[in-house]
Amino acid sequence: MTQRLAMLRILVFGYAAVWTIVRAPHLLDTIDLAARRFAGIGPLWWLNEPAPALVIIAAVALTPIACGAAALGWRYRLSSWTAVVGFLFLTTYRNSWGQIFHTENLVALHMGVLALFPMAAACWSMADWSVDGTDAPADHEARSRAVVKALSVLTVGTYFVAGVAKLRISGFGWIDGDVLRHQIAFDNARKELLGDPTAPFGALMLRNSWMLAPAAIAAIAVELAAPLALIGRRAAWIWAGMAVLFHFVILAVMAIVFPYHLIGIALAPLLPIERLGTTVAAWHCRFRRRSTRLRPTG
Amino acid sequence: MRRWTIRVLPVFAALLVLSPLVRDPTSDTYPLSTYPMFATDRGNVHTIATAVERTDDGFERLSPKLIAGTDEAVLASVTVTRAVRLGEADILCEEILERIGAGRRIEVRTETLDVVELSVEGSSDSTVSVHARCGGGS
Repeated sequence: MTQRLAMLRILVFGYAAVWTIVRAPHLLDTIDLAARRFAGIGPLWWLNEPAPALVIIAAVALTPIACGAAALGWRYRLSSWTAVVGFLFLTTYRNSWGQIFHTENLVALHMGVLALFPMAAACWSMADWSVDGTDAPADHEARSRAVVKALSVLTVGTYFVAGVAKLRISGFGWIDGDVLRHQIAFDNARKELLGDPTAPFGALMLRNSWMLAPAAIAAIAVELAAPLALIGRRAAWIWAGMAVLFHFVILAVMAIVFPYHLIGIALAPLLPIERLGTTVAAWHCRFRRRSTRLRPTG
Repeated sequence: MRRWTIRVLPVFAALLVLSPLVRDPTSDTYPLSTYPMFATDRGNVHTIATAVERTDDGFERLSPKLIAGTDEAVLASVTVTRAVRLGEADILCEEILERIGAGRRIEVRTETLDVVELSVEGSSDSTVSVHARCGGGS
């Protein structure tokens, strides 16, 4: 688990670094938005007017650097907290212009837990005390297991809450497919009226309306069954596969991308993702050994 | 980390992420969301606020970037809806004109249509209400 935790640190903070760089133009666009559209939410509830442009520019510039440093485990205590504060500020600020997005919530929560526990940088990192995971102190294993479990709980919890919201708002009527039909149609119509590309398979699904009820049942089953992924590795693999498929279908019929979930990082705490790190480490060792052999002597 | 912290940590994570369940499901925030996004039955007839450029042949749709200064269609939609609701369509119209350039004709409007029909058939009869016009000769 020491290695899995380290791999999660690399993936989560690495993702946050890339996300901040890719979304930088959009985040910087907020500087020019009309101040009357701003209303702080969540951690920025106290902010009544847009932040000065310099603050946004500094946050956009520094956050990916801090995220990258935290991914590498460099000065982890400082870099991870700087990354969390920067990412939380930028994503909350982005959500304070009238529309709350739901794509970065889990990233922010995962980053917060990883920053709370510096042992995430105990392996495969630039920290002075870094080890390769196999020679980690015995108590690291139990602690890392608890942190990985907490990250897994956050993942399945978000899906579960989303499933419960559907039942609380629309009742069991949600599964007859009508709500889904209207959601897909509305989302695509809105995109069309606002000059944005529509989903490639949205119309296909609406034309074949027999698919809607099974799709609605499958969607809510994936969400409500999420906690079952905690019971064992096999259950985790099955559920993770279903969750990725669920996000691909959302992308195909609504053109809505949940990148953190779609590429599997959101699900990584549940899976033996450390194998990725050990494979890379083995290649690295083999490469180093070969280059030592090839080095001319004398 | 103390032993009790190890035991309590996953429980604390569960309480944290499930805490939105005690809130009204439509009362959303960030990062602890109630995830209400696809939960409501919206029905098939909708009034969608948008902005278009008037041309000699009719009109052309504008991108979210031109409408609201963002590449997010959802945010652009919310921006126009809010402007219409608060009686600020004129202000928004001028902002769009500033982005798109003088001499063009902009219309902020709402279109009421059957969204299922639009998605399936590719078109739908719509009722258009114009809330603001600005630009050349408006």
